[in-house]
Amino acid sequence: MSETTIATDKAPAVEVKNLSKHYGPVKALRNVDLTIAAGEYFVLLGPSGGGKTTLLRTIGGFHKPTEGQVLLHGRDMSHLPPDKRPTTMVFQAYALFPHMTVLQNVSYGLKVAGIDRKQAEEKAAAMMDVVGLSGFAERKPHELSGGQQQRVQLARALVLDRDILLLDEPLAALDAQLRKDMCLELKHLQEKVGITFIHVTHNQEEAMTVADRIALVADGNLVEHGKARDIYRAPVKKFTASFVGENNMLSGRVSDVNGVSCTVDVAGSQLVVQKRGQQVAHGQPVDLSIRSELVQLSRANGSNNAGDGHSILGSYDEAVYLGLTTSHLVRLPNGVEMTSRTISDAVDDLPTPGDPVRLHWQPEAIRLHTS
Amino acid sequence: MTDEYANPWLYRLKWLYMLLLVVTLMSPVLYVMYISFNANGFGARAYDFTFEWYRLVFSDTLLLNALRWTLTLAVVVTCITVPFAVLAAKYYKTAQNKLPIVFLLLAPLFVPPDILGSALLVYFKSLNASFIWLGDQLGTSMFDGWFRLSFFTAVIGLIIYTIPYAFIVVLITMGRYRTEQTEAARACGADGWRAFWDIEFPQIRAGVFSACSFCVILVFNEYTRTSLLKGGFDTFTTVLISQMLNTGMSPQSYAMSSMVAFTAIAIIGSIIIFTLIRTESLSRLARAKAEPVMSS
Ligand SMILES: Nc1ncnc2c1ncn2[C@@H]1O[C@H](COP(=O)(O)OP(=O)(O)O)[C@@H](O)[C@H]1O
Ligand SMILES: [Mg+2]
Repeated sequence: MSETTIATDKAPAVEVKNLSKHYGPVKALRNVDLTIAAGEYFVLLGPSGGGKTTLLRTIGGFHKPTEGQVLLHGRDMSHLPPDKRPTTMVFQAYALFPHMTVLQNVSYGLKVAGIDRKQAEEKAAAMMDVVGLSGFAERKPHELSGGQQQRVQLARALVLDRDILLLDEPLAALDAQLRKDMCLELKHLQEKVGITFIHVTHNQEEAMTVADRIALVADGNLVEHGKARDIYRAPVKKFTASFVGENNMLSGRVSDVNGVSCTVDVAGSQLVVQKRGQQVAHGQPVDLSIRSELVQLSRANGSNNAGDGHSILGSYDEAVYLGLTTSHLVRLPNGVEMTSRTISDAVDDLPTPGDPVRLHWQPEAIRLHTS
Repeated sequence: MTDEYANPWLYRLKWLYMLLLVVTLMSPVLYVMYISFNANGFGARAYDFTFEWYRLVFSDTLLLNALRWTLTLAVVVTCITVPFAVLAAKYYKTAQNKLPIVFLLLAPLFVPPDILGSALLVYFKSLNASFIWLGDQLGTSMFDGWFRLSFFTAVIGLIIYTIPYAFIVVLITMGRYRTEQTEAARACGADGWRAFWDIEFPQIRAGVFSACSFCVILVFNEYTRTSLLKGGFDTFTTVLISQMLNTGMSPQSYAMSSMVAFTAIAIIGSIIIFTLIRTESLSRLARAKAEPVMSS
């Protein structure tokens, strides 16, 4: 995995060491290790129930680890409560103080810190400008839209000048368009304030938009982590490939191993794939993945039979029109369905269902997964 | 408030109905109050206004003692019940499975007072006997008085009685409270207490005060459980009822009844008026600020 931490002379903002968290019999986190550099926009991505919230809340001090440590800026803080940590948090919803105005909400932390009222309110008002809330100071939370409420939460957290901001599904309660807009705003806000953001989401598009680095969390395990682009382009784990992007997943058996690549038998076709440092043995069952937009479709005829190691034959199923793109579904001889995605209307001579077709790709587009 | 197209007579009829209902319900109480100011007592044809009966109540040491015990009981029960109710409501808010909690907390409402009272009585008696036996075995008289009928046993009985009411009243005012709010306060640097006082308490304040008033009224009015479980003291209602049973209603009894009723009405009335004023001022505030809300 191409693992590059942003070079700083400071200690990492967050180090999670061998962290486990159990709720009774439920093992929500299992031996998680993770390092997040200061100033990063880090995303925890994964299916719901995977343990993302638990990990985030353990970093924030809302849960005590069952095992393991949480270090913030190099100091072990595993047993400190949230108010003694250099973190602050934005919740999915319902977290605004309903009996206080927006201004009182935003300046609450400053009031707790003992800063005098006038100064606190000035600072709060300035932060409200930053997040686009000027003019709403005297509103009560229930008089705001969902997006505005999340802005209040952001302002309330950022005004404290803590250096780690935790966000648990901050956009999940918003409608699709607003979520997209606010994603970008979050990204820009983080670049502006320069502190570490740790953002939990189950939405891969949201993750790709905001993240410098992404960690995939599923089933209590930290599956894989790396730069957002690498996670998308070159996932190492099978789970990552199936969760991020629209990938075709194929399973087969290794039929030949040589140097940097190996040959995998998938439904009778011999596919050549780079090993990328993974150990494989002859006969071993492995998985392959390839992004649907990198798979090209052409009609099969006698002259272009598969056999080059970078193509496979199947029968055309149907086309699914998705607006910008169209997905062409092709059934392989073993019954597995593969998708080739093209810009809509790029192919004008569509095969009819049942026609034999050939799917092919650039040699480096397909990836091997041994786990 | 009302549908503008509704028949105005229907509206008036509704008010008339409510008025009639209240008068029917309250007229015996009002009549008792009326009698309590008559120098000639109950049944007399002549009506001469007087405070004499009230003066007599307040010069009777038996009654004054009873009043003192009642107040002490009310204060102690309230001080224990209300914090418990707040804790229960807090717990209810975070609990995954809410049904058992509701059932446990509301169960005392469905047990008739005499059954609950006598059950506790039997329970305390056996407990007392067991503790005395335990003391004898250990050669100490330390445990002897623990569960003898006393102020303590009466307090327990009344806490069981008042908890469901206090719990419900507090829970109602927790409508907009979510645990995330407390967590957000913690994330803003507040410790547990600070978060409670700044975030939770202001939201449930009305509920806590109402629960306190309820407890005081319930303890003041309660006869069955108190009379079964009390030790060597009397409360206002136990004195009143034993007097009525032994010697019939005296003009003094009317004065006492009126006082109990009046206390309850005064407390409830002030809560209602306070709430009405507050709602009105809040809605005025809301109307004043009702500019259109822009999206996003
Ligand atoms: N307070 C809790 N008590 C018991 N189980 C919990 C609790 N919180 C979460 N879990 C369980 O832990 C697992 C991980 O949950 P969570 O961290 O919320 O996942 P995610 O945020 O990825 O959806 C789930 O199986 C969930 O049911
Ligand atoms: Mg979650």
